[in-house]
Amino acid sequence: MTILPNVQNAVDQLRSHKMRSVLTILGVVIAVTSTITVVSVVQGFATYVSKFLKGLGTNAMWVWPERPPGEAGKTLGRVELDLHDVAAVESGCSALRVVSPLVVRPSATLRFGRDELTVPVEGVSAEYHAIRNFPVEVGRPFAAVDVEQGHYVCVLGREVLRKLNLDEGMVGGTLLVDGRRFRVIGVLEEKGSFLGNSLDNLVLIPYATALKMYPASRRHLAMAAQATSEKEVREARAQIVNLLRRRHGLNPYQPNDFQVQTQDEILEAFHTMSLVATVVLAGIVGISLVVGGVGIMNVMLVSVTERTREIGLRMAVGARRRDILVQFLTEATVLSLVGGGLGIGFGYGLSWLVSLHPKMVDITVPGWVVILGFGISAATGVIFGLIPAIKAALLNPIDALRHE
Amino acid sequence: MNAQAKAPDVLIRLEGIVKEYPMGAETVRALRGVNLAVRTNEFVAVMGSSGSGKSTLLNILGLLDVPTAGQYWLEGRDVARLSHAELARIRGCQIGFVFQTFELLPRQTALQNVQLPLVYSGTRGRREKAKEALCRVGLADRMDHRPNQLSGGQRQRAAIARALVQQPSLLLADEPTGNLDTQTGNEIMALFVDLHRQGQTILIVTHEPHVARRCGRVVCIRDGQIESDT
Repeated sequence: MTILPNVQNAVDQLRSHKMRSVLTILGVVIAVTSTITVVSVVQGFATYVSKFLKGLGTNAMWVWPERPPGEAGKTLGRVELDLHDVAAVESGCSALRVVSPLVVRPSATLRFGRDELTVPVEGVSAEYHAIRNFPVEVGRPFAAVDVEQGHYVCVLGREVLRKLNLDEGMVGGTLLVDGRRFRVIGVLEEKGSFLGNSLDNLVLIPYATALKMYPASRRHLAMAAQATSEKEVREARAQIVNLLRRRHGLNPYQPNDFQVQTQDEILEAFHTMSLVATVVLAGIVGISLVVGGVGIMNVMLVSVTERTREIGLRMAVGARRRDILVQFLTEATVLSLVGGGLGIGFGYGLSWLVSLHPKMVDITVPGWVVILGFGISAATGVIFGLIPAIKAALLNPIDALRHE
Repeated sequence: MNAQAKAPDVLIRLEGIVKEYPMGAETVRALRGVNLAVRTNEFVAVMGSSGSGKSTLLNILGLLDVPTAGQYWLEGRDVARLSHAELARIRGCQIGFVFQTFELLPRQTALQNVQLPLVYSGTRGRREKAKEALCRVGLADRMDHRPNQLSGGQRQRAAIARALVQQPSLLLADEPTGNLDTQTGNEIMALFVDLHRQGQTILIVTHEPHVARRCGRVVCIRDGQIESDT
């Protein structure tokens, strides 16, 4: 018996018991709908976050002094990182392309006329633009002389301009940062926002200037660095760790008195998070699929009992056990595939509905999820249709025909 | 299958067929040693009162049931040696079965019902063959009707067409007129007579003497044994 008459027959059965069929496939519909929606949302976030993390820089890494928690940290003396360390890293690590010192002031006061604003200020070198992939759009970046001489010049993020109700005409003008007068030499390219935080809300100044203003930072510098290539990121990290450990005179049993974090590690941490989310989702979907599958099995068992005479008749006109098995398996599979199809439709609808929320990231339903949706619903049909189908196939022709 | 192993035109041979059913604690012996031979192109009526074992005999002949003991050769083949799949194939291709209650699939048209055996045998040109069979039983004008749109007699004709569509060597009918009024019953019997004239081997189970009278040979069964065979 070929597939087509089986499918026709299955569709016919579905139609003749519309209400029952709808209720039967509800579990599968819910399972597939939730799969599609949640996977799409998680994917949307993943795309969004990895886009953001890529925007942080290219093959970038960050180093900052940090005392490790616990007993091990207490064995360390002063935990410091200074310009000599930065210079040593710059000259001693072959896997690094560029290095920039980083003085971070999370909240500095910016004054322009009567307006006052609290913004993060970062003291950096000219290479920072390349590391962060954050070029100057209007005006110019820091020149070597600005950094060396500690000129009072700054580059503004777009969000700062917006908050001060200024435009690019500000380039060339002056404003006050923590009481010092700075000349604005450039405006950064717009980077957008991440999870509601604008990435353009910052002021860049030369690190030498920052160290003049905030001398306490001299011994607590951070640095941003860029590896020569993606492949060299691990090597660069190892080189930095070795070099700094040597410079800080750490014994083998002492932990690092600094932290190195690469962009990949941040990405990895995020991927782990989204993997956990996916596993939890898989569990939920698994449960609803089992519920849906049991529903299908239940109805198929009823259907086999109801149609015992029909099975007997089919056997009497030449159906083999295999034909009966395939017939009922097809019916269960068609049932669950219809559920899967509806689920995919609802999944699309729900994803669309979710994406209407203004704070929501862009959501697209990945093609493989649709295939997955059909796959899992078909598998549910086959697995849970098997017992009723076997029950039907093993009927004795004459017992089936005599069934009342 | 070589020709010497059997009489050339013996279609069915039964030897010592016994059928027992467990019925609660007791065992019911429906058939107690039946010997029977049916030749090609015979028209046989199996008669007996209800509970005589005639339907059991027909089910065994139709390979729907297996005997507890005894041997059954169909066209010289010992059916006890056949697998499930081979039995299904013979049921589909060599035997046509007509039931008292028609057993048509309610949601399919007469034409689709008649095609069913062809679907299972994987035959090509199903539609044409099914139409031909429906024409043979005089139901050419009702092919696209569902069973509930057909009268009892028309339903039985559709069922007969389904039994004939594979051009089986043996047509079995279990009280084919039992659910029909006398007039319609006579028409159906006339159809069987006509089919027999065209060369079809037919075996009908009945308890109505006037049905049996139209058959060439009458086998009477009583308490699971053949009482008379004329």
